[in-house]
Amino acid sequence: MARRILGCLLLAAAGVAGSAAAGGGGPTLYDRIGGEAKLRATVHEFVLIMESDDRINFTFANTDLKKFEQLLFEQICNLTDGGCKYTGRDMYTSHAKLNITNAQFNALAEDLYEAFDRVHVPYRLQNKVVALLAPMQRDVVKDQAVPQDVAEGKVPPPPRPAK
Amino acid sequence: MRAVALLCYGLGSWVAGVGVATAEGFLGADQGKFLLTAGFSQLEGAGGGGLVPLALITGYGSSDSWGANAHFTNIQLKDFQLRTYGAAVGALDRVEVSYTRHEFDVTGTALDGLGTAQDIVGVKVRLWGNAVYQQDSWVPQLAVGAEYQKNEGITNAANVGLAGVVSAKQLGASSEHGTDYYIAATKIFLAQSLVVNVAVRATKANEFGLLGFGGDLKNTYSFKPEGTVAYLLTRRLAVGSEIRTRPHNLSIDDESTGYDVFAAWAPTKNISLVAAYLNLGGILGPATGVNRHQDGPYISVQAGF
Repeated sequence: MARRILGCLLLAAAGVAGSAAAGGGGPTLYDRIGGEAKLRATVHEFVLIMESDDRINFTFANTDLKKFEQLLFEQICNLTDGGCKYTGRDMYTSHAKLNITNAQFNALAEDLYEAFDRVHVPYRLQNKVVALLAPMQRDVVKDQAVPQDVAEGKVPPPPRPAK
Repeated sequence: MRAVALLCYGLGSWVAGVGVATAEGFLGADQGKFLLTAGFSQLEGAGGGGLVPLALITGYGSSDSWGANAHFTNIQLKDFQLRTYGAAVGALDRVEVSYTRHEFDVTGTALDGLGTAQDIVGVKVRLWGNAVYQQDSWVPQLAVGAEYQKNEGITNAANVGLAGVVSAKQLGASSEHGTDYYIAATKIFLAQSLVVNVAVRATKANEFGLLGFGGDLKNTYSFKPEGTVAYLLTRRLAVGSEIRTRPHNLSIDDESTGYDVFAAWAPTKNISLVAAYLNLGGILGPATGVNRHQDGPYISVQAGF
């Protein structure tokens, strides 16, 4: 009995592997969350939430939030197979001067969940979007503090380290 | 303080008055972890589920910070009751240290009134991986842990006709103390809203150590697999199941595999509640003559940051 249930756990894991690998036909994640109207509403709510979130709003002090909102829309649209082209910089470069911590990265993700809630995107679809964004942690969060001269823009940031 | 709640799976616990309401900024505690990653206190006090440890480090402290949890759990089986309470601290998303006390009473059968207690000190170290961020990889979060347990002996034996019995060693156990070692691999499949965890425990414990360690049937370490699956229903609610295979070292016991199904609810990052139904199979059947499944509710409250 015990062995059978453990086997079940492993099968469940394998099933997850299979479904994650499968792509192909059917509506894209972009379509499932509600397409352009829903995603634009989400990123708009997100910017409002983030602006009043003292944990992270200061990291956007020098950011053009209108432009940021558009780029975030493009980025999520692109990742969810909505057919958009992301015109912003890569995540490593755009965060190269910032000392973003894991706590700040996670706070931003929480705000995104909150934004999805406000526009009534189902939780299981929210998770699918966040699953696409979560690996960006490696490019956004620094292992070591950014040197002062890099943070002030006097010295260009080092290139993205090899994976 | 923003009460954006995190979902949790696993089985939790409680304690009053930890002052968690002011935890943000409290000695550098950042409550900075991502959804689902605080864990709960499992039976021996490690961050995990009710029966099974997870590779996650307890508390909501991020890799730059720390977190802590205190818990109270009550388990009422058909003929046995176990209360556990304790606390755990997680640091830098790397190391976890826990203390838990078990108080166990027989509440049915001819042994009604017999009791025992034990103290458990645990340590866990995350070796590698991040169960949340690595959504584009199959690498799980991996941790190893150890749990040292010291049994205080048996009380009230005279009342059930076992005058003079004060130690599990008189019931066939080889020792009143022991250490479990485990390795746990945890993966959160966020796109599927699933948590999958597999652990292997090296143990000599009889009924979690409540009946001592090693015994007349076997006095060497057994390697016993354990597992957890949970489905994330909302950011604040998860349901799931656990299984924990266990050795059978004592002839007076009919120890077997334990299972549970659970619902875990975290209204905020500071408090969480777990309701589960637990089935541990037979307990002390050969000694009591009562051969039935010992199942019942598992209720746990946890407070932390």
